[in-house]
Amino acid sequence: MKKYLVLLIFTFVTVTGNGENRFPKPDFESGYRYPEYTYEVPDETLWISLDLVALAGLMGVVAYSVLRKRKRMPVLIVSAISLAYFGFFRKGCVCSIGAIQNVALALTDSSYAVPLSVLLFFMLPIAFTLLFGRVFCAGVCPFGALQELLNVKNYRIPRVIAKTLEIIPWIYLIVALLLAVTHSAFIICRFDPFIGIFRFGGTVSMILFGAGLLILSIFTGRPFCRFICPYGAILSLFSRVAVWNVKIVKKPCINCDLCRHACHVDAIRPPYSNKIKENRTVGVRRILIYLVTLPLITLVGAVTLRTSSDLLSKTNKKVQLYDIVTDNNEQNPKDENYELEAFLGQGGKVEELALEVNEIKQKFKLYSTVAGAVIGIITGIMLINLSLKRTRKNYEIDDAACVNCGRCFEYCPQNR
Amino acid sequence: MARHTENKSNPATRRKFLRTCGAFIAGGVALTVSGITLKKLETEEPDMFWQIDPEKCIFCGRCETDCVLPVSAVKCMHANKVCGYCDLCGGYYRSSVKELNTAAENLMCPVGAIQRKFVEEPYFEYTIDEKLCTGCAKCAKGCNSFGNGSLYMQINQNDCTNCNECSIEKVCPADAIKRVKASGAYDLKES
Ligand code: SF4
Ligand code: SF4
Ligand code: SF4
Ligand code: SF4
Repeated sequence: MKKYLVLLIFTFVTVTGNGENRFPKPDFESGYRYPEYTYEVPDETLWISLDLVALAGLMGVVAYSVLRKRKRMPVLIVSAISLAYFGFFRKGCVCSIGAIQNVALALTDSSYAVPLSVLLFFMLPIAFTLLFGRVFCAGVCPFGALQELLNVKNYRIPRVIAKTLEIIPWIYLIVALLLAVTHSAFIICRFDPFIGIFRFGGTVSMILFGAGLLILSIFTGRPFCRFICPYGAILSLFSRVAVWNVKIVKKPCINCDLCRHACHVDAIRPPYSNKIKENRTVGVRRILIYLVTLPLITLVGAVTLRTSSDLLSKTNKKVQLYDIVTDNNEQNPKDENYELEAFLGQGGKVEELALEVNEIKQKFKLYSTVAGAVIGIITGIMLINLSLKRTRKNYEIDDAACVNCGRCFEYCPQNR
Repeated sequence: MARHTENKSNPATRRKFLRTCGAFIAGGVALTVSGITLKKLETEEPDMFWQIDPEKCIFCGRCETDCVLPVSAVKCMHANKVCGYCDLCGGYYRSSVKELNTAAENLMCPVGAIQRKFVEEPYFEYTIDEKLCTGCAKCAKGCNSFGNGSLYMQINQNDCTNCNECSIEKVCPADAIKRVKASGAYDLKES
């Protein structure tokens, strides 16, 4: 199936008198020739190009069918295709969600470059979202597609709970960025609940988590997308200002409430008239309150994460190694301690490691302060958003949350 | 937001205006990020594959157990030009071996992936059947402790799914697994 372009031919230099060899190289008398091995490096160019074409093409199909044709069926077909191709066939690496970390690392680390394909995986959905809303999420993302296809019932999560949980993707995103730019871990990849299902293998806990989410997604729309996915959080920002967005109905709305019940991610807000007319002083006071609380929450976030930066730095392998190396006395020497063995074997010096670890911890301190502040700001903005009461004459789609699934306009009686 | 400004136009147009501003900002951010990352590609060859540095590997055996694949993508490779072609091969026989015969209980490889062929007195050629190898590194450990170290571990790039985060890399005690450029996809022992 794979095509090989680059063939690495095994050619060596004959060594003479390599002191490390315990046994001398044999002198063959029978004219024996060393076997030649070829190690192939898979040339994935073709597949990656196909991936990118499929990615853009499927997003295009979704955009056309949802925005122009206003049909849901193509979205379901796209979901099935994407699930089969990106999910089970390509086994989902690298995906747009995980690419966040590569791009973040490329932006901060001068020695790390991301392949063009990874950048495109990250950027194409964003570009499409800026134009058409979250058409990627509609069914091109295999994770979204999986949950979309499983969803049959639409039990509503109480708004308070939903709004509280919606902060998780942001926290997840910021922490993932923090750990990526410090070379500690790619947690989005490690805690990916669905990849194990696509690969029919993985750690038991992650597969159980994934299965749990899938069962949940039968009863309520897209729990992963709404309450976990960090890429969804990024896309929601771009979707908010998208050039074209889904409209429920072009004719007058008859306020039947059907669309709101149809939406599985609770993205439709009912009409609301803000009766309380705010006078100037109240308005000024409200803005003052915002001006005070926002920095306060930011500060709280920054301080909290700064204090836990030591804990966060334990995700870094060097820091872990340092801990292992320094408290080996307490450990049972009979335990197999490969880390220590390797460290000593490579001639590592504890002092040098200590210096390095110190630097990493310092970095962590700085970055986690920033991360905490950003989490604080986001929480603050979300709270402010909740407190704003905006008048709506019609049922309106919250563009940030809408995943362009196409349910609402199929349900709207005015569209029949 | 813009409530306290002098903007007297109705909320709908105001919202539209803010939205357009937002769209431009968002587009600008996206372009900048792409620009910076693209620029880098001009000077830097991107890291594409995961590979083991045989100089660092200590044959801990985690390669076999921690790969996301059911059968690890890590395989044993054999550098014939390093090999001593010994009869009593530290990678082929267990160290506790009493009789040099090919009964399974004498052999190091739990899956029988090492093939042995008589060349001439007293030399034997060893070959790895990569289809059988599970990457347990037992043979390589034996060979490195008692022999020339011609058996060593590499990620077979055809089996590897190229995870965005190699899960063996996360547990490798020797920090032997690194992202490498396509030109260095294999780190072969040559001499
Ligand atoms: S929110 Fe995340 S998981 Fe869901 S469809 Fe969008 S990118 Fe995929
Ligand atoms: S995990 Fe690391 S040390 Fe262990 S066998 Fe694999 S490469 Fe070698
Ligand atoms: S002993 Fe382990 S690493 Fe060596 S050939 Fe057999 S399965 Fe592969
Ligand atoms: S990248 Fe993935 S498939 Fe390849 S060796 Fe590492 S864990 Fe296994």
